[in-house]
Amino acid sequence: MIAVLGLVLGVVAGLLVGPEVPAVVEPYLPIAVVAALDAVFGGLRAMLDGIFDDKVFVVSFLSNVVVAALIVFLGDKLGVGAQLSTGVVVVLGIRIFSNAAAIRRHVFRA
Amino acid sequence: MSDRDETPTTRLRKELPEEVPAAPAGPSEGAGQQAEQPALTGRQRLVNGLWPPRVTRAQLIVALLLFGLGFGLAVQVASNSEGDSALRGARQEDLVRILDELDDRTQRLEEEKQGLEDQRTELENSSDQAEEARRQTVEKERQLGVLAGTVAAQGPGITLTINDTKGTVEADMLLDAIQELRAAGAEAIQVNGVRVVAGTYLTDAGDGVSVDGNKIAEPYRFKVIGAPQDLEPALNIPGGVVQTLEKEQATVTVAQADKIIVDALRAAERPDYARSSSQ
Repeated sequence: MIAVLGLVLGVVAGLLVGPEVPAVVEPYLPIAVVAALDAVFGGLRAMLDGIFDDKVFVVSFLSNVVVAALIVFLGDKLGVGAQLSTGVVVVLGIRIFSNAAAIRRHVFRA
Repeated sequence: MSDRDETPTTRLRKELPEEVPAAPAGPSEGAGQQAEQPALTGRQRLVNGLWPPRVTRAQLIVALLLFGLGFGLAVQVASNSEGDSALRGARQEDLVRILDELDDRTQRLEEEKQGLEDQRTELENSSDQAEEARRQTVEKERQLGVLAGTVAAQGPGITLTINDTKGTVEADMLLDAIQELRAAGAEAIQVNGVRVVAGTYLTDAGDGVSVDGNKIAEPYRFKVIGAPQDLEPALNIPGGVVQTLEKEQATVTVAQADKIIVDALRAAERPDYARSSSQ
């Protein structure tokens, strides 16, 4: 409950404050957000499976974000930033979908 | 995936106390029911996790991370929905190409602008010339109109009044007066409301005189525009117009004025035979 509250508060704060994205993190923020979403869906699935662990969630969340940003950074340096970003988004999207399917099976039993 | 990878250790560590009550029920229901069992518990876990809010370290940490996620999500969405989102998401190569295209376009438009400005300057010059020519034409028309009697004229001059109670003044005497005035530089003359121009003729007509077919009677009032200091002496010279008229018992008055208005007009007539020979 408190976790859901935190998410809602974060969205509200982001909309209210509306800060300018610094140019340094601008290319990484979208990928980082998608990676974090993936971690959240994974955590939700783990919770429904009854195997949720906060430590694992924190580590996976942070590592997902860092690795995603790192991949984009590396891709930009190699000159394939666009393609690599697309690849990361596709992979993360597939994972989000599979996690969402597992969650759906738990919640709706279908 | 990282969550799934860690399952063996976490299950043993975390879920063991909760699974204990469920464990006796599980085996008794059989293998077929075991697939349903986790689904039910998953749902219950969701409800349990949601409703009685528990302030634990895990909940707080997850809330903190989710706060960060929500914040980043909102910021990204907000910054993406700002006006120039099309360029914001574009890659460097695309931006360079767009910039090149814009440069080309700017150059083309600049050239077009230059051409149009040249054209405008040209048109302005030619319209200035046309305006000047028109102005000169109007000016010339006014000058010629004064001579031809088609426009009114005003300026310094004299009035010459001839009272002829005896009826002795004849057309040739008035013609002499007009000739004398012309010789003295008169520029516009009217007599009793008739404009005197180049083609004016005078004839005797009963008691009075006919000017261009308009019969006029005494007193004959000449309004003359010209240099007053030239006109008056010209009339008054010994043996001149005034003396000749006075010899015929007429009374002659000459008065200078700063402003004489000659407002009798003649219609402009196109000559029947004479044509301008200048091309």
